[in-house]
Amino acid sequence: MTRFFLLPWTWNPAVTLSALLALAAYIIAFRVNRRIGWFAAGLVVLLFTLQSPLNTLANGYLFSAHMVQHILLLLIVPALLLLGLPRSLSLSLRPRLLGRPAAGWLAGVGAMWFWHAPVLCNAAASSRFVFALQTLSLLVLGSLFWWQILAPREEDRLSPPGAVLYLLSACVTCSVLGIIITFSPVAVCPVYTQKPAHHLPIMETLRTDWGISPQRDQQIGGLLMWVPMCLIYLAAIFAQLARWFARTPDPEAKEVS
Amino acid sequence: MNGITSALDRIGILTAEQREHWKIAWLSTVDHKRIGILYLVTALVFFVIGGIEAMLIRLQLSVPNNTLLHPDTYNMLFTMHGTTMIFLVAMPAIFGLANYFVPLQIGARDMAFPRLNAFGFWLVPLGGMLLHFSFLAGGAPAVGWFSYAPLSETPYSSTTGVDYWALSLLVLGIGSVGASINLIATVLTQRAPQMTLRRLPLFSWMMLINSFLVILAIPVLNAGLVMLLIDRQLNTHFFLPFGGGSAIMWQHIFWAFGHPEVYIVAIPAFAILSEIIPVFSRKPIFGYEFVAGSTVAIAILSLLVWAHHMFTVGLGHTVDLFFVASSMLIAIPTGVKVLAWSATMVGGRLRLSTPMLFCIAALAQFLLAGLTGVSHAIAALDWQTKNSYYLVAHFHFVLVGLIVFAILGALHYWFPKMSGRMLSERIGWWTFILMTLGFNMTFLTQHFLGLAGMPRRVYTYPDLPGLGWMNLVSSTGVIFMAAAALLFVWNLGRSLLRGPPAGDNPWNAWTLEWATTSPPPHENFLTLPSIHSRRPLWDYANPDRPDPPVGTTGSIDTLAPEKNSTAMMAFVISELGFFGVLILAYLFYNATPQPGPDARTLDLAKTGAFSLCLFASSFTIRRSEISLSQGNHRGLYRWLAATILLGIVFIIGQGLEYRHLMQSGITLSSNLFTASFFTLTGFHGLHVSIGLLALIVVLGLALAGDARKRDFPALKTVAIYWHFIDAVWLIVFSVIYLLPYVQ
Repeated sequence: MTRFFLLPWTWNPAVTLSALLALAAYIIAFRVNRRIGWFAAGLVVLLFTLQSPLNTLANGYLFSAHMVQHILLLLIVPALLLLGLPRSLSLSLRPRLLGRPAAGWLAGVGAMWFWHAPVLCNAAASSRFVFALQTLSLLVLGSLFWWQILAPREEDRLSPPGAVLYLLSACVTCSVLGIIITFSPVAVCPVYTQKPAHHLPIMETLRTDWGISPQRDQQIGGLLMWVPMCLIYLAAIFAQLARWFARTPDPEAKEVS
Repeated sequence: MNGITSALDRIGILTAEQREHWKIAWLSTVDHKRIGILYLVTALVFFVIGGIEAMLIRLQLSVPNNTLLHPDTYNMLFTMHGTTMIFLVAMPAIFGLANYFVPLQIGARDMAFPRLNAFGFWLVPLGGMLLHFSFLAGGAPAVGWFSYAPLSETPYSSTTGVDYWALSLLVLGIGSVGASINLIATVLTQRAPQMTLRRLPLFSWMMLINSFLVILAIPVLNAGLVMLLIDRQLNTHFFLPFGGGSAIMWQHIFWAFGHPEVYIVAIPAFAILSEIIPVFSRKPIFGYEFVAGSTVAIAILSLLVWAHHMFTVGLGHTVDLFFVASSMLIAIPTGVKVLAWSATMVGGRLRLSTPMLFCIAALAQFLLAGLTGVSHAIAALDWQTKNSYYLVAHFHFVLVGLIVFAILGALHYWFPKMSGRMLSERIGWWTFILMTLGFNMTFLTQHFLGLAGMPRRVYTYPDLPGLGWMNLVSSTGVIFMAAAALLFVWNLGRSLLRGPPAGDNPWNAWTLEWATTSPPPHENFLTLPSIHSRRPLWDYANPDRPDPPVGTTGSIDTLAPEKNSTAMMAFVISELGFFGVLILAYLFYNATPQPGPDARTLDLAKTGAFSLCLFASSFTIRRSEISLSQGNHRGLYRWLAATILLGIVFIIGQGLEYRHLMQSGITLSSNLFTASFFTLTGFHGLHVSIGLLALIVVLGLALAGDARKRDFPALKTVAIYWHFIDAVWLIVFSVIYLLPYVQ
């Protein structure tokens, strides 16, 4: 077990530096406020995703580790960063098209489908440049997706019933991809069925001691997308229902009689 | 006859004039209240039929090594019993209650689409007759209500029983989807102005959520049934392993429908409990928000966890593990509900009338069903008990212990509203005692039978220690349940004739159905009380201490979209499941190469050109909508005609492709590629053809002058459908024609 924590942490100066810069920019722009915790948490998850042993495993060893990384970058990090923005911030998306629910939905769901086309999935797992591109695109597309739910200003967000449908349809669409990956008789991302070029001794542990064959690895990846990922959407659906039911009567809205 | 008509007259269902034409009044009615009663009566009739089947099953099992029933007959009986009770009793009963009471609770005059409503109902007797006709046509299905492949395929079930089973379920499924689309449109668009979404009574709220679950789940089964019928009638091998197909695929499709189906019948029971328990505790429900929100959670989770029905199939530990975890999660929202109902009773001034008694028993029995349910979520335990009577006991505790009890509670609760007469409390009490006693004798015992090792689905059992007497106890319980059913029917008939008048609100309840007369007039309400909270009648009766107002009427809660396009959106959602299954099946069957024709034999260029026509038609129909909004009627006609033309060109292109394939000797039954190709594109083509008919009707309406009226929702409605079939084709085209060249 300890071998996993002692696996090389891939210290990446570019990532660490951007995270620190982002934090500095945040403090300069908004001062230290009550929401900085969310923002910092987003950055911590980002650093963990890209530098921890998870990243090493995702880098050619385990498809399932790649999937965890994918989910964190698309759903968790952008959500935390958006939650970190002060509610007073009047930020609107330009061009206006990006602020539309359909665009946000396509961004969030499309990122999942696009990067799991076998060619692209392979490319991202074997080329550092493509991987950087993928990481950036996941963060941006994820932010566009969550914008509809977590934008700083109330009026930029979807109404709670609309948000429930938005999240539910995203959940179902991702589940479908998860189902395809889980039961696909062929490899979705063939790179993970081969031995990686820079071969760490961990591979034997994974394959023989833990019994994670390439097929099982892909199943775990598909199931991660099918079940836990949907639970993230489900949690967001709850938050929306809570927001809806908790709404206090607005004194300015008039009663229809 | 005289007695019946006088009874009908007494309960105000027929006026003197209508009595002369009772056939017209009942057979061609579009009134939601009458359709609701028709649903309930139909459910009662099939309850008797399914009950007799159950009694025969229990009679056969009452002693070991019994030879009363032939094994084949036994198999037919348990198949028919299961299918009847789910599709012809539980579903119609639920739709009957929803039909009658949702419009009343939301202060509407009727359902959004009264004629669709009548259509949905009349499919129930049609489906029921199709199913039971199989007895006369060579033998009923003998494959279980789940109809597992390959047993259900022609080589193993050669009579027409399974065909009738599949056809009947298709008919019933279409009826259920129609009824649910109608309910969704009704709740979203027909509410009284002050009845905001957040003020909905829990019964109506849960029926809304449930209707969404129906339109998501039932079409999945429909796709499977279609594939099964094609297998049986047109010699394909979707579910036949020796032809390259996959029997497991059927199980996935069936349980992807089957697990949500459990909740489709359970959520209405939750809805009934949430309605009755507060009224008879004389206290508002504890945690309305949690009960409402947990319903959404249950509905969504139920779509995610079907594989826990397949732990014994051998999907592998990895898959099992995820479904163990996600299945257990369902215990949280259901636990929240049980807690909320219990907390409602705590500190309340309980009135133990018959409806409440049934609900309390349902709550207790559901708790036990939930606990055995959690034990089935543990894969290792499930392997031991899955094919034993322990599982039979578990799901009968859900289906009877919760659902039948809740429906009985609801019938006792709402009968006064439907008839204007009170049921006898004394007979009701005896019904409850006999039912609870009989139910627990029959099914509580079966837990121990299962743990003692008695397998299910087998027509008899050896005389092992304990099995004999426990089975006898289990069978004896049926007598008590039958007696309870007879008492109940007698109570209904007796009270209809000479029950004491009920008045508007015999239970001092708070929702709007009690604000009108019993039975309600044809138009439901003469005046509505004002609605500021979830208990408008409480506020009306207690003006000095009303409930705190909920929400406002100026926000999203008052959302009331146009009904035609809302219904069409719901229909489109229902189609997603159908096409989703066909597309996934296509991907699955073509993931590995197989002998014979494959996707590369298709003419990509030609079909691509015809597809462009279909895609272009989405733009032309959009242009016609824009023309309408600008008042440019000639533009409207032209763009609509262009859309129809483009659609026809596409269909001709499809026809040419089919002809070309057939001429090269490629047919549906050539291999799995052709089977899945023709099924998928064929059903898409069928949808395009129906869309074309609809477009022609809309063009006709427009030319006849309808478009010059203030609004013309037909165009927008058909446009939604048309865009949808274009989008489906985009996916189908990419998957079938483009994908082979990408890889």
